[in-house]
Amino acid sequence: MARTTPTYTPVRNYAIGFFLSTFLLFSDINYESFSELRGTVKAATLYVKLSSNRFLHNIGDIFSSFQESNNLIQENTNLKEEINRIKTQNSLKNIETLQRSKMLDSFKDLVDKFDNNIDIHKIASIDLKNYLCCSSHKIFLQNPQKIQIKENLPVLAGGSFIGQTSKQYLNLIEVILFSDSNHVLPVKSDVFYCNARGMGKPLLISCSPKINIKDLGSKIGDSIYTSGLGGIFIKDTKIGFISDISMDSAGELEVIITLLGNPLKENFYGIIGNLVDET
Amino acid sequence: MKLSNYLIILISIILGFCIDTFINQFTVQLFIELNFGFLIFSYWIFAMPERFHSFIPLIYGLVIDLFFSTAFGFNMLFFVATSYVIHLYVFRFRIFSYFQLSVFFAGSSVFYIACKYLLLSPLNYSYILLIVSFLTNAILWVGIYFVMRSFRRYIFQVT
Repeated sequence: MARTTPTYTPVRNYAIGFFLSTFLLFSDINYESFSELRGTVKAATLYVKLSSNRFLHNIGDIFSSFQESNNLIQENTNLKEEINRIKTQNSLKNIETLQRSKMLDSFKDLVDKFDNNIDIHKIASIDLKNYLCCSSHKIFLQNPQKIQIKENLPVLAGGSFIGQTSKQYLNLIEVILFSDSNHVLPVKSDVFYCNARGMGKPLLISCSPKINIKDLGSKIGDSIYTSGLGGIFIKDTKIGFISDISMDSAGELEVIITLLGNPLKENFYGIIGNLVDET
Repeated sequence: MKLSNYLIILISIILGFCIDTFINQFTVQLFIELNFGFLIFSYWIFAMPERFHSFIPLIYGLVIDLFFSTAFGFNMLFFVATSYVIHLYVFRFRIFSYFQLSVFFAGSSVFYIACKYLLLSPLNYSYILLIVSFLTNAILWVGIYFVMRSFRRYIFQVT
């Protein structure tokens, strides 16, 4: 008696499809072969979304232009955006002031560069689904003037560094956040230096300093600063605080750091340009 | 089947993935990952196996990978594999109860989620998430089954 159902399921075509997709998946995961294509599609989708939003917004404006309150609402929105913009600029100035007080002479050139090389960009999109659940933590910033932005430039928001530029698609800038599991940031505390890797969880990065837990001397709540060793970020800028200290399964010390800059709360981001020689 | 019908089916799958993207950002904190897109795809294969063999799932997977995935080939691989498994047992499924179907499709869906986390985001792999998602997707399958069946009958004028 036949034990299988009489369906015609030629395995050859499935096997070809299976191997083809496995090959594509392998090449994308290991070599990021299709990251450009995926980024372009994502940017194009966002572009269409933003354009249609703008279009709908304009239509809405036409309908509501007869209402007296519309102007007030618009003015309110503009003021809010202006406040956000000023807040971001202020945070840049704060860092500037901090750095100035610490090493005024050596930092002078850098401060001069800051004044000329800070671009403020509004957020276009955050991949919220991945941000809340998965390893990939990226945001897209609007770049309507299509300014050429170099890769790996520091990005600021909410008074702290939050990531660095990775790619540019159409008129959007992709920013990889510190919490992305592919991002590594050299950090330091008062007692240790280490390379902190993103944990793939919102606001969390972790690192394993090569010292004993007894010698660590740090405690939960201690501030963490950029070390400047990567050549991207200015050193001694506070980026977070220690939120947990534990031993992992291999017996290595693991320090969990909670970041200060929360991309979910920020609308405007500052990109600091041409800082390749800060170290 | 006409090209327009294939497009309608593709749109329904894309819609499923859009719903996933929208809802999962809230539910993932409760260890629930809904899988509308994959379940809708599975439903179409289950309901009309003679229309979908290996090529159409491959193309559907390609489109979904382009717009929704963080790795190219992931959905292609799972769509082709799921299509093959459903084709193998399609007539056995006909005599399955709703409960058995729910268990099978929720299991497939959880396997999809588990592989997604293992391959693309191993740091966030969680057994609690898989167990809770299994239960929610099992319930979800029943809803998707009836809604999609009505939709299919409406679109393809099945009496």
